[in-house]
Amino acid sequence: MNDKDLLVCRCEEISDEEIREAIRQGARTITGIKRRTRAGMGLCQGRTCQRLVARILAEETGMKPEDIDPGTDRPPVKPVSFGVLGGVAND
Amino acid sequence: MTRLLDHPILGKLPERKAISFQFDGKNYEAYENETIAAALLANGVRTLRLHEESGKPRGIYCNIGHCMECRVTVNGQPNVRACLTIVQQGMVVESGKQLPNAIKRMEEG
Amino acid sequence: MSDVIVIGAGPAGLAGAIACAEFGLKVTVLDEFFRPGGRLLGQLYEEPSGNWWNGIKEAERLQQKTKDLAIDVRCGVSVFNLEKDELLWNVHTNAGSMKASYVLVATGSAEYPIPVPGWTLPGVMSIGAAQVMTNVHRVQVGKKGIIIGANILAFAILTELQLAGIQVDRIVLPEKSPISQEAGEPEEVLKSLLSAAHLAPSLLLRFGSVFMKNGLLRKIALNFYPKGGMKISGTPLQLRKAAMEIVGKKQVEGVRVVDITPNGATVPGSDKIYEADFVCIAGGLYPLTEITAVAGCPFQFVPELGGHIPVHSEWMETPLQGLFVAGNITGIEGGKIAMAQGTVAGLAIVKRSGKEAGSIDRLLQKSVDYVRDVRQHAPIQFNPGVDEGRQTMKELWVSKYGKEGKVIS
Repeated sequence: MNDKDLLVCRCEEISDEEIREAIRQGARTITGIKRRTRAGMGLCQGRTCQRLVARILAEETGMKPEDIDPGTDRPPVKPVSFGVLGGVAND
Repeated sequence: MTRLLDHPILGKLPERKAISFQFDGKNYEAYENETIAAALLANGVRTLRLHEESGKPRGIYCNIGHCMECRVTVNGQPNVRACLTIVQQGMVVESGKQLPNAIKRMEEG
Repeated sequence: MSDVIVIGAGPAGLAGAIACAEFGLKVTVLDEFFRPGGRLLGQLYEEPSGNWWNGIKEAERLQQKTKDLAIDVRCGVSVFNLEKDELLWNVHTNAGSMKASYVLVATGSAEYPIPVPGWTLPGVMSIGAAQVMTNVHRVQVGKKGIIIGANILAFAILTELQLAGIQVDRIVLPEKSPISQEAGEPEEVLKSLLSAAHLAPSLLLRFGSVFMKNGLLRKIALNFYPKGGMKISGTPLQLRKAAMEIVGKKQVEGVRVVDITPNGATVPGSDKIYEADFVCIAGGLYPLTEITAVAGCPFQFVPELGGHIPVHSEWMETPLQGLFVAGNITGIEGGKIAMAQGTVAGLAIVKRSGKEAGSIDRLLQKSVDYVRDVRQHAPIQFNPGVDEGRQTMKELWVSKYGKEGKVIS
């Protein structure tokens, strides 16, 4: 990756260009972009980049911000150990 | 960086007990009730991990637990946020490392 | 088991918890940070009255009240899921799961980032990060910094950094792009700064606010905007310069800046690198709604409130029975408004619980009116259209769920 690249997703190091490419290939939702590029799939769960991805999607497609579904939040929204998820006492 | 011992409005910092902890095998001094990130910054350490794939250095970004950029390993437990975790006497903190043979995971969907 | 679980120990959450506990409800408050206060911690500004608003003191005052009322405040607890079984809400945390009839989500806001090439370098942080490091942890963030992004939050925190003796070399805009949007356009930035002109008195003194309300005159002013910027208590605000790249090998060493025209276009060949050992990115705030999203709460896009907002009534009730919201999750505003909203939510929970039949309706109405009153007198307004945004949400609620007080299911 070129140092001059504009990284949008810090966790997975996904650039502005990669996100635009995913949209050009047909992604029309934040989830679709996430699946194609991994943008927003890192440990921060898109907390840092999701709104940026939405802006790029709006620009590339002409979609209105209100029509872009932000509802990609899935539990767990914070990293937890498998022990906690399984109901086992925290290790 | 130095600690802001005095402040025109907030006043002087209270006397605090000094403690020591380890970061990547080196000993550092901290004060009671400091976070790992604050104690390391006070010691001039900004880099808390290397990106798992690219190996680029990372430090705190949001400082309040949202962004996960400051994650470190604490006493063997990975993915602990240095910005939220209070440093303890004798705590062993390790920076995140670049993974060997990091392979960009397959695209999903 | 608690009657109420409050997620977030900021101004809204603590005020809500206090209102519930004052009427005898058993309350647990959860927060990820190691001490209560949320974003009150670190806030420090001089009010028009000349008194200092010290968020740490405010947080301590609220914390003392929670102690007096035997509210169980648990810090260092992260909530990762929220769901409802037939009767009760299940709040799943890294310290185990707990149940309650009522949940108040007061998770506040997060910062909009503005990506700039090189922004992953250590030493680059959100403006809020610098505030917390300086005023809460009391560690200097650096020797000399540059702020990228000129908005209300950036000005407030600039003043705080200066108070702590930290040198901020300059404030520049981000490069104009579809991602930075208005933040990269000098005219838009000037317009929004003037709507909060008391925070930029030096700008006003030079131009006069009435004068600057005229769009054409604003354009002319920007054409003649001094190259070196205008000083805001010692730091030049450079509305005609944009950050193109943050440079450094292992950490921040400087920022490459170019001149820009009044509409944000870069002037070729005007690049210059300014040295800095820290950079703050000030992109503004957005409501942190993820917990309400996983709970299944419907959302409405209200730009004046900061984006997608969980649908709620003036009583801070969501359409999901027993789920309430308050503070910045419902729209970006200041700490005092968050507190007032927390009280509304708390009283609404008291009403729904049936704990207090007599005076509660009157108290609740009073608390709703008080929110408006605080808003009117707020020293800091993040969005000039906030009243409109609140009205939009209110009308949406009434059209979908009827008047306040109607029992929802």
